[in-house]
Amino acid sequence: MKQWLILLSLCCLSSAVIAGPPVIEIEIKDHLFFPDEVRIPADTKVKLLVKNLDPTAEEFESYELNREKVIAGHSEAIIFIGPLSAGEYPFFGEFFPKTAQGKVIAE
Amino acid sequence: MLLNAVIIILREVLEAALIISVFLALSQLLNRNLWWMLLALLVGFSGATVYALNLSQISMAMEGTGQEVLNAVLHSVIFISLLIFMISVPHQAHAKWRQLNLVTIVLAVITAIIREGSEIILYITGFFGIPDLLSPVLMGSAVGAGIGLSVGVFFYYLLVNMRTSYGIWLGYLILLLIGGSMVAQAVEFMIQADYIAASAPVWDSSAIISERSAAGQLLYALVGYEATPAPEQAAAYFSSIGLLIVAAGISFMFRGKTS
Repeated sequence: MKQWLILLSLCCLSSAVIAGPPVIEIEIKDHLFFPDEVRIPADTKVKLLVKNLDPTAEEFESYELNREKVIAGHSEAIIFIGPLSAGEYPFFGEFFPKTAQGKVIAE
Repeated sequence: MLLNAVIIILREVLEAALIISVFLALSQLLNRNLWWMLLALLVGFSGATVYALNLSQISMAMEGTGQEVLNAVLHSVIFISLLIFMISVPHQAHAKWRQLNLVTIVLAVITAIIREGSEIILYITGFFGIPDLLSPVLMGSAVGAGIGLSVGVFFYYLLVNMRTSYGIWLGYLILLLIGGSMVAQAVEFMIQADYIAASAPVWDSSAIISERSAAGQLLYALVGYEATPAPEQAAAYFSSIGLLIVAAGISFMFRGKTS
């Protein structure tokens, strides 16, 4: 029994290590971000999984986060952000900036 | 839509146009054949198309960091081309150096077009299925490309019509700034892909010149301006410019020995 417990706890520990940074999903649909406000813990690295559901390409861009990544239509992309100090970090879709606006809130 | 297309295409064209015009002008000042440029343009656009068509697969390669790695490689190739170009210029009397010099020009132009052109192709082709938006986007893109190319043409004639020694010096100065910007952008992509750990910005000048403003955008294209650079980016920027100056200087001092 004790050995099983040790094995189980080892499994839990290793899966936590392998899992890496928390993943947050953002969808792009009709040139809008869903959600358009992304809350993440401050001082923590986060992996954004941005899914572009539109047929048009989009460029995820943020001056505050120093990030830019082109995402082809009907495809997805991974963007690492953080660790960030608490605050707001706007991002936008460069190809449709009028509608595609959002922000990361680190707290 | 139209204005937006103008700005997007202008931003992409401006950077490539600057690199191409400075190299064209320096080639002219160094009495080089300009036919190579045509070949470079053709290969560059073909490469950009291949990149754009395969973007999804490239993005998802290497655990989702393929795009960052490829962009970092492209920026590094431009920097290395600039470095070898600057080293080879003082040894023009030697046939082998002249050849190497030409190879670096062609390589830098091809790479710049692949990098900037792929984004333009992706942006425009996204509208192919949307006829209502396609024509304003094409119109805006044409205007943006026109403005960007005009700036390139302006720089070309500025350099070519100056006294030769001034033209070469100004061309060198622009290449130094482009070199620094290339390495800083490569580092930024490596941070984005999480190969280099992210850290807090070394300074924040967004209150003075925002990257959103026209001035910020222009400075970005000309000198690689960042309002909130990571310390690694700033270090990469200044040390790569330093490396270019030292390498060019040393090569200049040894110019008599190979000619």
